[in-house]
Amino acid sequence: MNIGPNVFSSASRTTLEKNVKTFVLPDKCFENRVACTWRCGNKFTIYPRSQTVSKTPVDTTGDRIVNICQDILLFTPILRKLVNESNGTYLSLQKAAETAKTSDNQVEFLKLSRQYRSIIRVCIESLQEAAAKESDGIEKNSLMSYITIFYSIECIWHLCEILYVDSIPGDIVLPFLLEWIRFHFPCHEQVAAQVLEACEQGSEDHPQYWDTVIGMIVQGRVDVARALLKLHSLADINEFKLVDNALRTMPVYSVYGGISTGEFTITWKHWQAECRSKLSGRSLASQPKLELIMRLIIGEYSAFESIRDNYVSWFDLLGGWVLYTAPWTRRRELGAAAAACAALRSAQPPAARRLLDHLVRALLDGDLHQVIHEIQQISDNGWFATHLTDILYQCGKLKIFDKHQTNVTARLRDSLVLEYGCLLMEHKSLWSVGLSYLATCPPEGLRRAELMLERVPVHTNAKALRVIAEAKKYGLSGVVQSVCRAAGARRLAAGRAGAALGWALRGRCGRLCARAADAALRGYCGYSGYSGGRPLPARDLLLSAGPELLRADRLLFLGKYCDFHRLYKNREFKKAAKLLVSLITSKIAPEYFWETLLLDTLPLLESEEAVFSSSDTFEIMLCLELRSKELTGEKADLLRLALARNLARTCLEDVEDE
Amino acid sequence: MPLDVQGTFVSQKINKVRWIPEEYVETKCFFTGSWDDDVNSVKVWTLESLHEDAEIDYPRVLSEYTVDGDVTQIKFVDKTKIAVSTSDGDVRMLEVSAYEKQTPLKDIYAWEKLHNYGAEQCSCTSLDTFEGDIATIGEDGNLNILNGRRGTISRTLTAIDSCSLHAVCFIKHNEVITGNIRGHMKIWDLRITDNKPTASFLLAGDELAATCIVYHPTQPHVILAGSESGSLAVWDLRMNSFPTSLLNAHSAGVTEMQFHPENPNKLLTCSVSGEIWDWNVEGITKTTKGPDNQVTTWVPLENKNTMTVNSLMPTLHKPINSLHCDKGRILCGADNEAVYVIKNYKY
Repeated sequence: MNIGPNVFSSASRTTLEKNVKTFVLPDKCFENRVACTWRCGNKFTIYPRSQTVSKTPVDTTGDRIVNICQDILLFTPILRKLVNESNGTYLSLQKAAETAKTSDNQVEFLKLSRQYRSIIRVCIESLQEAAAKESDGIEKNSLMSYITIFYSIECIWHLCEILYVDSIPGDIVLPFLLEWIRFHFPCHEQVAAQVLEACEQGSEDHPQYWDTVIGMIVQGRVDVARALLKLHSLADINEFKLVDNALRTMPVYSVYGGISTGEFTITWKHWQAECRSKLSGRSLASQPKLELIMRLIIGEYSAFESIRDNYVSWFDLLGGWVLYTAPWTRRRELGAAAAACAALRSAQPPAARRLLDHLVRALLDGDLHQVIHEIQQISDNGWFATHLTDILYQCGKLKIFDKHQTNVTARLRDSLVLEYGCLLMEHKSLWSVGLSYLATCPPEGLRRAELMLERVPVHTNAKALRVIAEAKKYGLSGVVQSVCRAAGARRLAAGRAGAALGWALRGRCGRLCARAADAALRGYCGYSGYSGGRPLPARDLLLSAGPELLRADRLLFLGKYCDFHRLYKNREFKKAAKLLVSLITSKIAPEYFWETLLLDTLPLLESEEAVFSSSDTFEIMLCLELRSKELTGEKADLLRLALARNLARTCLEDVEDE
Repeated sequence: MPLDVQGTFVSQKINKVRWIPEEYVETKCFFTGSWDDDVNSVKVWTLESLHEDAEIDYPRVLSEYTVDGDVTQIKFVDKTKIAVSTSDGDVRMLEVSAYEKQTPLKDIYAWEKLHNYGAEQCSCTSLDTFEGDIATIGEDGNLNILNGRRGTISRTLTAIDSCSLHAVCFIKHNEVITGNIRGHMKIWDLRITDNKPTASFLLAGDELAATCIVYHPTQPHVILAGSESGSLAVWDLRMNSFPTSLLNAHSAGVTEMQFHPENPNKLLTCSVSGEIWDWNVEGITKTTKGPDNQVTTWVPLENKNTMTVNSLMPTLHKPINSLHCDKGRILCGADNEAVYVIKNYKY
């Protein structure tokens, strides 16, 4: 019985520790005594446990064992695409980071960062597609919430890319910032496009005309705003011309513009003073909207405050604020602008989009530690935190110090990657993806990989071979051996001595070799008699095993015995007899096999031509008498007779050693 | 036109991909078989563009047939029927409708638990087809010959190998070659009743598994086998003892290979190391005219100069499990849960 978190009846937060969630279990059977134990990964089990020993039988019919596991968002089919695709990018990034140690590789990093973002956008698209098809309300809701999560992830990633990954000429961040705002908060885009498309005078009748114009001004799209203003029915009057002129003459700063910041500041100040004088001359008093525009472009705080409520968040205004107050702002100076914008008074409750608010503020303030802390709260199972931290770390932009001022950046990155890797290792199919993450954090990662890889369930040879191939790739020879051992033991249990031996040899495991060889010998003894009986198990394997037979004594014996069979079959009786005698005299045969071994001499003793020399015959006789327990009765008598007859034969003419 | 590679993530590790042949038009549909997931399935896909004029087409699922265990092999019995083997020992024959591809796959025959360790389940590792006959092999070391027309088991060769078998290929209607996990290759004449191979030889000295076997389309006595170590072995069956050449190819196991159906000099291979290569194997066989003008074909020893190898796709970080080509288009499925279509392949 598996219970996802949604089954639990209530989730409440205690005031003491806000990260503690309380779930009420649905069953009553745990009221008395329960115990809990961890299973692998994020699973644990709750089971009834009685500590008192009572002699009367306890009623255990109502007892149940409850497995509790975390519902992992990333394991849903749509998000598995994200997991797999981003894994490819992550691994490419590790390679790029390797080369970046010797040469500057910023462009490559930017390319990979964009790749990550495009992966997120593809994911959002497929989520939207799924949401459109979904008819079930709850499912649809959760899909919608995933979409929201990934929207904000993409938004933050983009800003991070601008601030930390991209190399911006002269560090003048404004054009990029405006682009970011246009891209993620395109609230007036459509209306503007509509109005411009229609292109008719008197467009102010459109209910959102003024909002759109101001929106365009705030987003820094002065050309669009001017085009819109031209469509106003009063566009020809002086006030409009005045504003249009002010917008037209606005100096635009560019690193490649050929003028220094100081020079630009003078022109800019001059232009602003001109605009301000027009405002104070009250020449726009008759057109309050135009006045508002003028107030915005001279960067008047109260003007920005007055339009704050038209927007969901303060970042919509951030671009405008920077543009009209200090267009030369560099990346590290954005914090002040962010503080100013965030402080704009709003009538809306501050709870809305709080996480994103915090994140953007922290990013603009350059507090990456805080950013990472915040994104760990996003419920995407750590995907975002892991990948973002990694890219920032690889770019060399992440510097985090603990309270003793030691650099813990690498540790932070490793711990996130390890956590994420372990999470994926638990999945039946994504284990190899998880492994590739763990392998990028040596040495801790490989140690974890070793532990987890051994626990990957292996039901078929194909999977075993794949696990072995992966383990070999990362040099985890311990895993190779344990997988081989496990596979061999399973074959052995299924009565397949040959297959077990194959695995034992592959895993270079002497003990399993011995056990498998034993099984093969015992299997062969079970079918007494050689001719007509079942052939020796694993014969085909043994004939080509070569030096690998030395892995275990028992295996060596099996190999030699198999060789004896081959010689006998090929009618090379003398050689076969020699081998058999050496097997008998070396005394490495297991107890249970003596009977078979001794009886194998019978057909050779009875052969037309004598093949055992008299000394060999004595050796066999000695063994027969020493091991009288193993071979008794009629068989022993038969063998004695044969031996005696052979001795008689060899007395006349002994067998020559070749 | 340059090669055009397009990948689609499908949320399942793909073990086999097969184009569904069409009579007169370019093939648009294909099968995939997944493995190593909680629920695995055989799926039918079609390539279609989202918009009328868009150049790029995306695969879309038409139907799904779930199986127990992993899909280990898919081979065509005829144009619309496939034989599917799974890791729980089953072999199924399924039919896809020739016209309405989205109708669910139809069960024709099923041989359940064909391979087994008694009551315990055992993987059916691969199969091959030949004019309606199906040869299946399993970890139990058995070889079954199934009749795909009547749905019967025509022959079972029990425990022909003490290890598990991993590759099988029908050479003639009465001859099957098998390869086991230690690289032992054996040829079986199906007319002989006792379980003795007519020939047996080793793939390489390293005792690693044989993963796939194919024969040369125009020189059927030339056999190629891929190894778990990534090397490629070539035999001339007229003198089979050791491979005539052993090529060190991929850095990890060869997963599947195919001669291009239209050009026998082109061989495609894919590997566990995430590579997909195209080989020009013209040099694999040499034709000479004897003194009496008789044409003889032979496999030269270790002729590495004549092999040219191209990589068709940037190396993936995960194994590519399967490939299938149809004219200028190659399909491949990989462990990163994606299917790739390579277009504009020159053959």
